[in-house]
Amino acid sequence: MTTHDTRPGSTGGADTAGPLHGGPDDEYTPEQLAAMPREDLDRLGARYDGVEVLHVEPGPEPGSALERRYVRQIGAVFALAGLAAFGFVVVYLGSGWFLPDWEWTIDSGTWSTLFTPLLGALMGLSLILVGLGMVLYARKLLPHETAVQDKHDGSHFDRVTTGATLVGGLHNSGLARRKLITRSLAFMGGGLGLMLLLPLGGMIKNPNTGNPLGRTSWAEGVRLLRDDGTPIRPGDQVAGSLETVFPAVPGGNRQADAATMLIRLRPEQVAESDPRAGQADFGYGDYVAYSKICTHAGCPVSLYEQETSRILCPCHQSQFDVTQGAKPVFGPATRSLPQLPLAVDDEGYFVARSDYIEAVGPTYWNRERI
Amino acid sequence: MARTATAPGAPTTRLGKAAHEIDDRLIVAGPLRRTLNKVFPDHWSFLLGEIAMYAFIVLLLSGTYLTFFFDPSMREVTYEGSYAPLRGVEMSAAYDSALDLSFDVRGGLFMRQVHHWAALLFVAAIIVHLLRIFFTGAFRRPRETNWLIGVTLMVLALLEGATGYTLPDDLLSGTGLRIISAIILAIPVLGTWAHFAVFGGDFPGELIIGRFYIVHVLLIPAILLALIAVHLLILVKQKHTQFPGPGRTEHNVVGNRLFPTFAAKAGGLFFIVFGVIAALGGLVQINPIWLWGPYNPAQVSAASQPDWYIMFLDGSTRLFPAWDINLPGNYTIPALFWPTLVLPGILFTLLALYPMIERKLTGDTASHHLLQRPRDVPVRTSLGAMALTFYLLLIISGGNDVLADKFSISLNAMTWVGRLGLIVLPPLAYAFTYRVCLGLQKHDREVLEHGIETGVIRRLPHGEFIEVHQPLGPVDEHGHGQLAYGGAPVPKRMNQIGGARRAIRGFFTPIEEPAQVELEQQREERGVASAEARELTGSGRPSEGGKPQEPRD
Amino acid sequence: MSTTNPQSDAQPDDVPRRARSRRTRPTEGTPAAAARSRRLSKARRRVANVAGLMAALVLTGALYSTLAPAHADEVGAAGDPDYDAGQEIYENSCISCHGSNLEGVDGRGPSLIGVGGAAVYFQVHTGRMPLVRQGEQAADKPVVFSDEEIDQLVTYVQANGGGPAVPSDEVASSDGDLALGGELFRLNCASCHNFVGEGGALSSGKYAPSLHNADDLEIYTAMLSGPENMPVFGDNQLSPEEKRAIINYIQTVKEMPDPGGAGIGRTGPVAEGLVIWLVGMSALMFGIFWMGSKA
Repeated sequence: MTTHDTRPGSTGGADTAGPLHGGPDDEYTPEQLAAMPREDLDRLGARYDGVEVLHVEPGPEPGSALERRYVRQIGAVFALAGLAAFGFVVVYLGSGWFLPDWEWTIDSGTWSTLFTPLLGALMGLSLILVGLGMVLYARKLLPHETAVQDKHDGSHFDRVTTGATLVGGLHNSGLARRKLITRSLAFMGGGLGLMLLLPLGGMIKNPNTGNPLGRTSWAEGVRLLRDDGTPIRPGDQVAGSLETVFPAVPGGNRQADAATMLIRLRPEQVAESDPRAGQADFGYGDYVAYSKICTHAGCPVSLYEQETSRILCPCHQSQFDVTQGAKPVFGPATRSLPQLPLAVDDEGYFVARSDYIEAVGPTYWNRERI
Repeated sequence: MARTATAPGAPTTRLGKAAHEIDDRLIVAGPLRRTLNKVFPDHWSFLLGEIAMYAFIVLLLSGTYLTFFFDPSMREVTYEGSYAPLRGVEMSAAYDSALDLSFDVRGGLFMRQVHHWAALLFVAAIIVHLLRIFFTGAFRRPRETNWLIGVTLMVLALLEGATGYTLPDDLLSGTGLRIISAIILAIPVLGTWAHFAVFGGDFPGELIIGRFYIVHVLLIPAILLALIAVHLLILVKQKHTQFPGPGRTEHNVVGNRLFPTFAAKAGGLFFIVFGVIAALGGLVQINPIWLWGPYNPAQVSAASQPDWYIMFLDGSTRLFPAWDINLPGNYTIPALFWPTLVLPGILFTLLALYPMIERKLTGDTASHHLLQRPRDVPVRTSLGAMALTFYLLLIISGGNDVLADKFSISLNAMTWVGRLGLIVLPPLAYAFTYRVCLGLQKHDREVLEHGIETGVIRRLPHGEFIEVHQPLGPVDEHGHGQLAYGGAPVPKRMNQIGGARRAIRGFFTPIEEPAQVELEQQREERGVASAEARELTGSGRPSEGGKPQEPRD
Repeated sequence: MSTTNPQSDAQPDDVPRRARSRRTRPTEGTPAAAARSRRLSKARRRVANVAGLMAALVLTGALYSTLAPAHADEVGAAGDPDYDAGQEIYENSCISCHGSNLEGVDGRGPSLIGVGGAAVYFQVHTGRMPLVRQGEQAADKPVVFSDEEIDQLVTYVQANGGGPAVPSDEVASSDGDLALGGELFRLNCASCHNFVGEGGALSSGKYAPSLHNADDLEIYTAMLSGPENMPVFGDNQLSPEEKRAIINYIQTVKEMPDPGGAGIGRTGPVAEGLVIWLVGMSALMFGIFWMGSKA
């Protein structure tokens, strides 16, 4: 349908389609097509796409009572959707203007509590109604046609000819014979790949230098502080209590591994207490201190049941017995919670005698070696 | 028509001319016609994947909105916003901006909740879609590639969800991050190196939120988008599968053309999915981070859980026994390694390779475009039920502390129920499903052979009572049907074959009078009512309705 | 995640108790303050009974000691009418498990000597005592005794061995710092009672109860006495001011409406997962089923 340019410099009218050009345009002249009704054209095109329309159940008769009813229904649905959408606009824009303020605070009025639910209800209603309207339209008013489309398996012809082109091209390139080039190409590919990947090496850090995984800030003479930074005397806690304590170093109460549970045992617990070998003197009187970081996955354990002496981890339910050196008695944890050796300094405040003697937190490959 | 001197068939309307101009340049008429004419089978279960795709679109839209306000930084700031119980508390800028988004941005809380609900729905829809593909055998040749892409999409969706869950840096997500850190550490040999590469040092460091952010908003979504495109392209190229039925073969697709019926329905579904998410986003509170508080490594709450789609891993971690493996040289493989890395590795590999495994075991290498009914492939269906039982038990165990608390069950008992259940229940589910499949198969064959039970009891002259059966096709001299089972649903009730009164129309409420339909059918001499009227004057035996059957033993 | 910590700059022993430079407190006139005062009035109403009784108790005691100085110097000894009434209640309702002299009965009930009035108040006022049957844990149930009777019982047990006493309503009121209370709640309480006091499971069938029905004085006496498996939070560990802050946080958050719609139990992912399957996914499955059905 193009008009040909015949000015000098262009190939002009001499440029006609080659002998292989063709397809349906050769079979159907414009005149033939123009003479066909629209429905036939539709079917014709469908046939070209391998689609046969078997059966059409027309929608309701134009102008019939049924059609009028469906049109009313669907119209109402779309109108309602619009109404809800405008409702959303009114709530969104009007809050704080002609409606009460939308900003929610714990003691603000009902409107701010209703603001988000109203937005959701109106937007949800509006969109669901739009969808409902569209589906209803398709179900009630559109003709129901049953069409069949052919499926084609891969064509043998395509495979053979494509294969010939590929193999021929490769053969012509002579790569199979020119071994030097293939080898240098492989070498180049390896180098290029490595070169492009290597900058990611910036992410690699040696975890074994400085050993931040194994150690915490606890050290000899470091005081035990509460979260608010106050030191603790042995008289501060009553039997059957637990306090989370942190090392008295900068940022001690935000360190990921340093949090420690300072527990004052009840007399009965002291009586049945059975510390781990070599750690009998880690406590101070009826006080014991264990790492708060679970040896399983690192969650803070601190669901302390003072009657059953159990400490439960809320993440995976490992249970540790504080009278047994915080030995795991249930759940997936395998190691006891590390115990912090305690002492009291000259001014009568709790201090650590050293860092934990083992790595705190979850187990890893070479933990034992650190 | 051709009043002007244009070629025949040339457009006369302005729109037609514009379309003509466009096609002159882009040559799209052919491909567009092929697209519009594409036939989609009409079955509800083919829309499950669409739900997932629409949820993904909502995720992209709402997520983009959230990035305008979210600050993925672990810099310490002091909260000064509207939520009084946190005012003056130190927190990361990420949490602070998430709070501001919730309380100080108009509609921000709504959008946050929409995003989170859409995420939960996205994975839920993916899994239901996957189950449909699995149980109907739609993954068989030639669709193994798309199955692999689908499984990859699901794993990526889980990763995308997990990274997004971590971003607000509240006490719940921080606890999750801590567990992620422990899981990375638990990798044998490489654990500490991997951890330092991901976190840039010890937990938590100062980089992880920023890194997860870019993974969450760029890296994974880009891959998801690309893979979804390939997933759909392959679908279009291979054409849809369909359930067996009249006129449906391995070489065709029966259904609606894309335009306009299917397009209207699919577009409608998009709006319905979006609407359901929006309604949830406003009406049901999700992840109220202001209640959780800022992350602090020393704090934790009871019942700390991941979102539901990661809960199966939390469950496996809770159930796995305390089995550290100590190797010579003081090396350890932590117990955490097995349930969090090995188990999902095995599960997802098995899932991804299932089409190849089944092909190997059954020797079925043919191309299949017709789906199977789950009952017809009892082994696969039972394997699926077994895997599903396993997965459900893990999910339940992921919330076992909440269940223990709400239903006053011992937590330790829940753990043991989970451990034993994982061993005992999946085989039981297999055996049970297998029997059910066989039973359903048998019933199908029985109906084909003996006909539909009409519920009509006859007394034979010698006094014997029999139930009249309606054969589905021609019968042999014993009155046995000769139809073979074709993999399609077998009608089991008279009104499915037009024998009884047809079903009253209307989905939600009947839109016609039952009595009216009865009369109408009687006039048309169809259905039980007319048959009875006829038989009253006959021999007492249904004549063309087939011979009465011998009572079955 | 590391920040300069006040505790580091100064020598630890120089740090005054309660110095919290990293936490700025809301001043009067802020919404938080308003919320506090609102809470306060509610708290007052809630403990009004107790308050009145305590006042009456003090008054009676004072009158008694001026009128009959020869018999008793202070409230809460034999001869005091409250003490006697308390003893009578004890002997009717508690003696079978806790023994005739509060010394406890093996396998039935612990000794009450030295447990203090706070423990009695908590146990009886929440209905945990008297116990219906022995089990893993006493559940709260409708209270058996009147406030007056509880007071008499408290007096009786307090007089036998002392221990943490029931604080006055002023001490136990909930007018503390909201943000501080939240921090302390998350550090000390959330691990068992969940983020906002919904409660949670403990080992082997035990549980941390929900704080929904707990009033100020019950929370206070629970912290003070450490009932059953709950650790004790003595006044040197959590000062009365900090306890008030925690109570204020619990009560404020408990009563505040949810800005984002239905709270679904405020329990997080488990409830959310149920909602997406039972509501979201189910609704959509129904929707596509309808779309796929014949018209």
